[in-house]
Amino acid sequence: MISAGFTATNAASSGIRLERKLLKALAKRSDKPGLVFLGLWALSLVATGYLVYLALGTVWVYPAMFVYGTILTLSAYAMSHETAHGTAFRTRWLNTTVEWLTALIYMEEPLHRRYTHTNHHSYTWHVGKDSQMPFDTPMTVTGWLVEVSGLALLYFHLRTLMRLVTGRYTDVMRAVIPAHELPKIQRNAWIFLLVYLAIGTLIVSGQHWLLWFLVYPRLLGMPILSLFGLIQHVEMQENSASIIDSTRSFKTDRLAAFLYLNMHNHIEHHLYPQVPFYSLPALHQAIKDQLPQPDPGFWRTNLEVLSVVMRRSMGRNTRARSIRQSPQMITDGRYQKRSVRSMR
Amino acid sequence: MSEKWILACATDDIEEEDLIRFDHGDKTYCIYNTVAGFYATDGICTHEDEHLEGGMVIGTVIECPLHQGRFDVRSGEALSAPVCVNLETHAVKIEDGKIFLDISA
Repeated sequence: MISAGFTATNAASSGIRLERKLLKALAKRSDKPGLVFLGLWALSLVATGYLVYLALGTVWVYPAMFVYGTILTLSAYAMSHETAHGTAFRTRWLNTTVEWLTALIYMEEPLHRRYTHTNHHSYTWHVGKDSQMPFDTPMTVTGWLVEVSGLALLYFHLRTLMRLVTGRYTDVMRAVIPAHELPKIQRNAWIFLLVYLAIGTLIVSGQHWLLWFLVYPRLLGMPILSLFGLIQHVEMQENSASIIDSTRSFKTDRLAAFLYLNMHNHIEHHLYPQVPFYSLPALHQAIKDQLPQPDPGFWRTNLEVLSVVMRRSMGRNTRARSIRQSPQMITDGRYQKRSVRSMR
Repeated sequence: MSEKWILACATDDIEEEDLIRFDHGDKTYCIYNTVAGFYATDGICTHEDEHLEGGMVIGTVIECPLHQGRFDVRSGEALSAPVCVNLETHAVKIEDGKIFLDISA
């Protein structure tokens, strides 16, 4: 539950206005965009998966798996997030089915995801309250490497799964998940574990194609997924009521926007989480006069973040030149740790 | 408790698959125009202190704008996380194009 006297971080707390009729039109639900996405995602996986097949036995299998794995992993994350909000499809069973499928690929039990993400929206980037702060702040080169390798997220997911399976709930879990939901989450976690054990058993028994088309690509897809996740909030202001201070939107190309379900409009998503992915560009147009300019493209934003964290680790000035950055994060030499990741 | 009907609004005031907020005394309500007819519930989500007036009506479901928790407006049943506690419902009756709300509960 939200603490007494605390206002959830959203459009109202950020001073953003949108006429109700327009918001209602933007938040309207439909099955079609999600089904079109699933069709195109499946086609792109078949096409790039065929490249993996052709490259088996050669060194080209690794770049092929990287492309296939990025498409698999990034969109599984994006769709599991969208379905956790319940906004991907109008039809409920469709939303739930796709939520489970993509959550299995993303490796996070759906109800745990939903409750911790609910908390993330209520307390966006509030230290000690936001249960989805994935890295220590301010970020250093070491933190960047751990994050971008995907190892931190993978470790978190595996550790969380085992905690849920064994009922060893963390303080964060107990704080954000109602007690009566924990048995249901534990049951779901067992289903997840059994699915993963079944996949492992199949591999050990000779079904090695699962390694080339699922396990290795899933691991190779982690870095790009992590880079997308990283720039949602890195170098932004902590403990602010305003989403504009705490969150970053950035420009990107059409392919990335497709794979990421338009979540580069991240400020817009946090302001109005009831707006489905296919209406986020229209939402951006509707409120852009009230928002800062989106940061430059995915690569430029990430390069600037890397530059900042390298300068921080070298004890130099950390002022960013081309992306939005909280004054809290600008130091000239020495810096103090501000927060420890809550996803651990 | 005996019924206590008060005039809330006209049926034309609420678009199809939409709702309006209705305040009376120190209580606040939502009145819905759904595919199954008109219904009324308490106005505040049982999960957090958020008014449902900004929510989406989808069929006979109201979705909270804050965390997308869902209730069936006919029964008030909490349908999906993060909402767990049912929403209080109130009877409505339609007379001459006007919606009356039973606020005795």
